[in-house]
Amino acid sequence: MKWLELLTVAGATLAAAVTVVVLYSLGVRLTAIAGDAQQASPGFKRSLAYACFGLCGLAVLFGLYLIIPYFSR
Amino acid sequence: MVALVIALALFFDFTNGFHDTANAMATPIATGAIKPKTAVTLAAILNLVGAFLSTEVAKTVSGGIIREGSDGVQITPDIIFAGLMGAILWNMITWLKGLPSSSSHALFGGLIGAAIAGIGFNSINLETLLQKVILPAIFAPVIAGVVAYVCTRLAYALTARQDPETGSKLTQKRGGFRTGQIFTSSLVALAHGTNDAQKTMGIITLVLIAAGTQTPGSGPQVWVIAACALAIAIGTYAGGWRIIRTMGSGLTEVKPAQGFAAETSTASAILASSHLGFALSTTQVASGSVIGSGMGRRGTTVRWNMVGKIALGWLFTLPAAGIVGALTALLVKTGVVGVLIAAIAGTAAVLFMFFYSRKSAVGHHNAVEVEEAGQAVRFAKKKAMARARADAKAKAKAKAKLKAEAEASTPTESPAEAEAEATTTKDAQR
Repeated sequence: MKWLELLTVAGATLAAAVTVVVLYSLGVRLTAIAGDAQQASPGFKRSLAYACFGLCGLAVLFGLYLIIPYFSR
Repeated sequence: MVALVIALALFFDFTNGFHDTANAMATPIATGAIKPKTAVTLAAILNLVGAFLSTEVAKTVSGGIIREGSDGVQITPDIIFAGLMGAILWNMITWLKGLPSSSSHALFGGLIGAAIAGIGFNSINLETLLQKVILPAIFAPVIAGVVAYVCTRLAYALTARQDPETGSKLTQKRGGFRTGQIFTSSLVALAHGTNDAQKTMGIITLVLIAAGTQTPGSGPQVWVIAACALAIAIGTYAGGWRIIRTMGSGLTEVKPAQGFAAETSTASAILASSHLGFALSTTQVASGSVIGSGMGRRGTTVRWNMVGKIALGWLFTLPAAGIVGALTALLVKTGVVGVLIAAIAGTAAVLFMFFYSRKSAVGHHNAVEVEEAGQAVRFAKKKAMARARADAKAKAKAKAKLKAEAEASTPTESPAEAEAEATTTKDAQR
């Protein structure tokens, strides 16, 4: 049986999904805070939020890069 | 015979496409993130792209269960024909019932049944069967469900906003997840293309090798890749609205953050599994994710009797497709007449199911009722926003008048106040 491979798949799935969800959620949260009425530095928060979305996108692209055999050859 | 098998394989790819549109697009359609028509178009394009991206899976998925090569038995196009027949018929039946069942299991079932009837019991490699089909079937929904549960909890915990002083709930503003869903569902569609279109490519390549037109051990040819990619894209565009209904609103009520979490886990599970050598079924992963995300949000109920129905469908997939495959294999054994009878009976059955389905058509217009509700909400929101704007204007005017009369108080206060009011009313709509 390929128990090790099963564990690898479960671990990789968890790590990838959690990374993407945490980054995106932080982005959503920061956007929400930046949109609040009384806010010290909405611009800074907003750029942080965009950084989160960007990192999330990069994580996805990196995952695709790992997967597509064209790049890893 | 080879041409017939290739045609059948492409049709199987088509049913696979419209069977599995739901995996990618059911949740964004249910939350109103994408309009149904746009969703299936997007899914079709990404399936097409995905099919070209990687052909690694094509070589590994279908091989191994039936002993091939020198030590085992030779797979003939007849066996593959019978197996495909079983898979297609089972796909059509589950589609009619709106059950998301695994197309790859139907294919395996059909091939196994055909091999048993056509060659004998010893042609089946039981250990590989256990390892490639039965264990993944148990673990796919579990892994995806647990990951989706964790992700949903995280997404809600990270975006839960409370007033630090009063402790009362602030407006949550989770609308961003709806936009995110467009990307995650696209990722699922892409993963589906890299995964499922490959199976048909593997089958056609197997037939070509068996017929002697291709050297053993070589990868799929370019025209095979193109044909399979097109077939699955067209199938996806046709849209399995019945299954979308089950996945989108039958299992649990889906909110954008949940959908986002579910799709992320689906995409990562499919991509991780197919490239780390433990192939999981797309459909089972997607269903597991939806259930997991349903359990992750407080106040949501998972409709367990629907879950039971789907699980029962999964249990029957292998034997049912196997029986049809076996019957077809027996018919084919009798000669050309048998092949003709099988082909005609299969076409008739597919046509019958298609026309039967027309009696209670489920299309993009009524697949998920949430769409209408979403539009209603959006409409109301627009109206309310217009009203809020008008209110704010009226107030500002009144205040300006007051100011002009009294010529006192701070001049910056009133617009700021009006703006704050406008934003709060806007937030209340979310």
